[in-house]
Amino acid sequence: MTVAKIPASRMRVLAFTSRTPSGSRASMAVASLLLLVTIVAVLGRVLSPYDPVQPVGMLNLPPGSPDHLLGTDSIGRDLLSRTLWGIQISWFTSLVVVASGLVIGGAIGVTAGVCGGWIDNLLMRFTDLFLALPGALVAIAIVAALGPGLKNTLIGIMIVWWPYYARIIRAEVKSLASRPHVEAARLAGVGRGRLVLRHIVPGAVPTALVTASLDIGNVILLLAGLSFLGLGQSAPAPELGADTARSLQLLLTQWWIPITPGIAVLLMSLIANLGGDAVRQLLNSKR
Amino acid sequence: MLKFIVRRLGSSLVLILVLSAIIFLLQEITPGDPVRAYIGLNASPEAVAAARESLGLNSPLPLRYLHFLGRLLHGDLGVSFRTHRSVVSDLGDFLPATAELVTVAFVFALVLGILFAVSGALRWWGTSVLRGLLLVLATGPSFLLALGGIVLFYSRLGWLPGGDRGANASGPTGFLMIDSLLHGDVAQWATALQHLVLPALALAIAPAIAIGRILRASLETTMNADHVRTARAKGLSEGAVLGGHVVRNSIGPALSMAGLQLGFMFAGVVVVEQIFSWPGIGNYLARSIPVSDFPAIAAVTLVLGTIYIIANALVDLLQAAADPRLNL
Repeated sequence: MTVAKIPASRMRVLAFTSRTPSGSRASMAVASLLLLVTIVAVLGRVLSPYDPVQPVGMLNLPPGSPDHLLGTDSIGRDLLSRTLWGIQISWFTSLVVVASGLVIGGAIGVTAGVCGGWIDNLLMRFTDLFLALPGALVAIAIVAALGPGLKNTLIGIMIVWWPYYARIIRAEVKSLASRPHVEAARLAGVGRGRLVLRHIVPGAVPTALVTASLDIGNVILLLAGLSFLGLGQSAPAPELGADTARSLQLLLTQWWIPITPGIAVLLMSLIANLGGDAVRQLLNSKR
Repeated sequence: MLKFIVRRLGSSLVLILVLSAIIFLLQEITPGDPVRAYIGLNASPEAVAAARESLGLNSPLPLRYLHFLGRLLHGDLGVSFRTHRSVVSDLGDFLPATAELVTVAFVFALVLGILFAVSGALRWWGTSVLRGLLLVLATGPSFLLALGGIVLFYSRLGWLPGGDRGANASGPTGFLMIDSLLHGDVAQWATALQHLVLPALALAIAPAIAIGRILRASLETTMNADHVRTARAKGLSEGAVLGGHVVRNSIGPALSMAGLQLGFMFAGVVVVEQIFSWPGIGNYLARSIPVSDFPAIAAVTLVLGTIYIIANALVDLLQAAADPRLNL
């Protein structure tokens, strides 16, 4: 049996872009999908045709009904409106979580990488401790202890989300600190603060951004899971995971009602992954 | 090697202690008074104060943590507010079902992951379609996979059952697929397997892709390495090259990814068990959340977290066995 060599272009899964000759243009197009979702999320409330909380039509209308594109749920609320509002909450919440990971993890990673010595050791042992725990599970426990709600969900995920960033940013800072340009700056008498802010941190930004953009999809999935378990906002508020959980009993009769929010989550996470991959290629090709 | 094993197990112990400390702190900040939960809402203030003293709730925080640890070591995880039974006996009832589901899901994830990794080497157009489908499914939330599976394979096609385990475990292991064989009941074995397919697949697809991607990358690196070219040049058969020179070198990263994915599976099992009415601890946790039954939530987190930590220690030992360079 001969095992064919796996061509390098197929290495990166989900990267349609690397196969096209005009790679960077295609990457731009895919990366701009991230922007598109953000615009949809920003305009979610304007785009949604009805109030997501009020009953506005007949009950359990199927998708494609004249006035309700995605149909209505069991008490006559418009599914398109609820999904759009849900997308808005879900997308922005995950951006906030990823940003918090960048900020907290970045601060710890930069401190550890720049200071070195026992500070580095201490911070990294602490980081490893958190990395070695099952983050999603601990997040569930934290939110359950604090009580459900969007704010507590955010706190719960933020507590477990930074270690990964700290690790990656520290490694990047370490490798940057030994580069010639930092050496040169130090020899030129640049102070420590300026050295870090002007010569090291900007160099770590691309890696941090790539890590963050590839991470959005993970956060979206975790948020949807927590919401499904009832740890998100309370009842009438539109939220994708919770909307599925609340309409489970319709699964065998009107399956689209519980499935629609799930598909919205899938699409967001898919776009986040594709977009993250494209961002990575764009930033890597620039170097 | 022995030193490595001892050190790795020691660090797992530290991790378990940290996990227990986190759970303890969460228990401290959770709204709701444990004394009221313990002696009832109508108790007089004096009775509350007395119970507070006797439960040791007036002692300082570190002492209370030691108390908590002591109770843990005696297998006392408290009483569930919802079932009014000791959490340990609840867990005893529900753990085997989860263990069976996660084991089967993990096997599915490994098999699918390996197929995904090597499918790039196959020259059949269908593989790319399948791979694309798996990739898209892997980005979906686990509840969507579970619900989609029920709608398609249970409701539409009627091929597979849409919930529960199909039978009650009658001992001795609590794993239906093993117990039924021990009782010589092939029909029950088949039923158990049928009931496992959908929930296990819903749990397995995302980890399978994660494992498959890593495995493929590391297989590719190894296959292009100089020592493999040398082995081929020596005229070794492809099987001997793979078995003797490739597999051990490329299995490490995939193994550690598999260990990490177990954590996501444990979170996913909470959602999937709820959807399939699976009588496991994930479902137990899911039903404890709406009623804020914190002793139950804490216990499940502690048990699953401990299993995760031990499993990852085993993964590290396996890795060291496969690649002696890691044995530092």
